Amino acid sequence: MTAALSCGGLGKRYGDLVAVHDVGFSIAPGQAYGLLGPNGAGKTTTISMLVGLLRPDTGTVLVGGVDLAREPLRAKSRIGYVPQEIALYPELTGRENLRFFGRLFGLPRRALATRIAEVLDLIGLADRADTKLGTYSGGMKRRINIGAALLHRPEVLILDEPTVGVDPQSRKAILEGLERLVGDGMALLYTSHYMEEVERVCDRVAIIDHGRIVADGTRRELVSLVGGADTVELVLDGDVEAACAKLRAVEGVAEAVRTGAASVRLMADGGRYLLPSLITAVEGHATVTATQVIEPDLEATFLHLTGTTLRD
Amino acid sequence: MWRAMLTVSALELRTRLRDGTAIVIALVVPVTLATLFGLALGGDDPPLRATVGFVDLDGGEFPASVRREVTAAEELKGSVTLRDLPSGGEARRALDADEIGAAIIFPAGFTRSVGAGEGGDVTVLTSPRSPLAGVVAGAVVDRISAVVDARTLAVRAALLAGVPGERVKELVERNGAAGPALTLTGDPLAGGKVDLAVYYGSGMAALFAFFVVGASFRSLLTERKLGTLDRMRAGPLAAWVPVAGKAVVGFALAMVSVCATWVSGTLIFGSSWGDPLAVLAVLTAHVLAAAAITMLVAARVKTDAQADGVIMVISFVMAFLGGSLVPLHSLPGVLQAVALLTPNGWTATALAELAGSGASVAAVMGPIGVLLAIALGAGGLAVLGLRKGMLL
Ligand SMILES: Nc1ncnc2c1ncn2[C@@H]1O[C@H](COP(=O)(O)OP(=O)(O)OP(=O)(O)O)[C@@H](O)[C@H]1O
Ligand SMILES: [Mg+2]
Repeated sequence: MTAALSCGGLGKRYGDLVAVHDVGFSIAPGQAYGLLGPNGAGKTTTISMLVGLLRPDTGTVLVGGVDLAREPLRAKSRIGYVPQEIALYPELTGRENLRFFGRLFGLPRRALATRIAEVLDLIGLADRADTKLGTYSGGMKRRINIGAALLHRPEVLILDEPTVGVDPQSRKAILEGLERLVGDGMALLYTSHYMEEVERVCDRVAIIDHGRIVADGTRRELVSLVGGADTVELVLDGDVEAACAKLRAVEGVAEAVRTGAASVRLMADGGRYLLPSLITAVEGHATVTATQVIEPDLEATFLHLTGTTLRD
Repeated sequence: MWRAMLTVSALELRTRLRDGTAIVIALVVPVTLATLFGLALGGDDPPLRATVGFVDLDGGEFPASVRREVTAAEELKGSVTLRDLPSGGEARRALDADEIGAAIIFPAGFTRSVGAGEGGDVTVLTSPRSPLAGVVAGAVVDRISAVVDARTLAVRAALLAGVPGERVKELVERNGAAGPALTLTGDPLAGGKVDLAVYYGSGMAALFAFFVVGASFRSLLTERKLGTLDRMRAGPLAAWVPVAGKAVVGFALAMVSVCATWVSGTLIFGSSWGDPLAVLAVLTAHVLAAAAITMLVAARVKTDAQADGVIMVISFVMAFLGGSLVPLHSLPGVLQAVALLTPNGWTATALAELAGSGASVAAVMGPIGVLLAIALGAGGLAVLGLRKGMLL
């Protein structure tokens, strides 16, 4: 099957600064692909090259098998691009904004009104479509911002941080809308600062840092990269010091430190399965009154790979 | 693709019309300023005085009769002086030195060749700095050629009819094919008044064309800031669509602006700018040049606010140097030369020529050519700049 969007060897320099280096991935129809990276990692630069706004120094972009550099119009007609900032006319209404971009993107006159109504339904703004965009809330603008990219029924939707500055309700509406689109077979490229969004929407994630993709895979694959070490927190009643020594001796426990008068933190492989032996190990010295197992998540993986947290 | 371009144009037009200042800048201000300047400074003000050089290499009765006629003409009394000069070269020198405003040169043997039915050519030298003298000389020569033509025809007819050569002259003169006597009909000065109202009117038109057309290229930068330009460029449409869609509207509005200033000037002051077709051609070429220059500005600056500032400065500097604010003939010589580095200078020269002489478009092909060359040069650089700045 032809990938809905694939790129390889993408590179872009600004003078001495390497903004993007050797970036490549492939997104199948109906697949949602996440691009995670700290500020300045090169996400927007990568996306700009994918949608034809920026000429790459190296590399190629194929949209549904069509070379973007060679046949830009055909390739672009299959892409819906949602810019990082709201890119709409504040003095026009929501509907007028959609009509303008619909006409510009070549929708036939008769089909246009119907399609605009469909898109407004999808983004849940049918009732506010005829007031000026300037009066919309941040979340409503964001929704029109996405809607304008859907008019020409693209096969790939590319979103550059589409939920920045959005109220929880709009965020929910946006994410549900995107999930529906993916369910209908659209390919999605999604960048965000919000780990939970990427974890929720995307079935595959690339972590980009300093312009390079440092890891790439399903959520589970990425998490396993950090190793299976879980964090286990125990609250003990009794001789905590002695219990701690016993715990260190348990097979699979890498480390055990006292973190309070009655609490111990362990690093252990397969922490959840280890719990029974941990409880047995401390018998005679103390009793376990509470346990918590923290499995590594994408956030931890991200921290491990890039040395930074995701948010500013 | 055309539909996409029209979509961009429609929005641009709508935005411009909704924004009241656009109308004010395109129509109200130039028309008002042109009218105020015209009322305050216009009228018969330009000195209706001209010295016409007279070079008589012929020495026959024809030049003598012309001299008689011009000195005797009531309409020319006190405003036109003839000055005898020994040669064509001398006439040209005097013209360049602004000692005379125009010159009429009769070649040797002129009277004899006309008498023999062979016709003859009188040379006229004119200077754009003295349209009035040019008009007088032109009117005189028009009369001369009419007489020469009539004579030539009559002589030929008589010869064909078998009249012996020595009797032809007498026969022709007796039968009324006017002798060398030359009568100036009408007021030869009528077209020569380049009313200052026309001068200021065309100056305002030339100045405001920059602002009006420039606003469209400025809005390209506004759209870059808004992000809508990137949205367009990421869409399935050719790169030239947004730029062309806006340029078309800027061009059309600027044409409306210059034509409104032209028409209002003609109606209010009753003074013609000259052959309408020729005026339109010059104004069109000017607007094209202004479009290319403001497009180049948009390609070189970063923000729409910068574009506003730079377009403002460039427009006023060009207007001042190019004689749109102060008539060219009242600027010192150095500045008159500098004026020809600006489109305004060429437009002012061409329009003064048209208003002064009633000439047709052929007379201003030179300035029009220069304006178009400026448009092409600046436009080419602008396109390169727009590409580099990711606007195109
Ligand atoms: N036009 C430009 N000129 C010079 N450097 C640039 C330009 N655009 C981007 N950069 C640099 O390239 C790097 C990547 O920027 P980019 O905008 O792609 O990051 P990003 O991952 O989108 O960041 P953010 O999360 O803040 O949006 C940054 O160091 C940035 O400063
Ligand atoms: Mg970015």
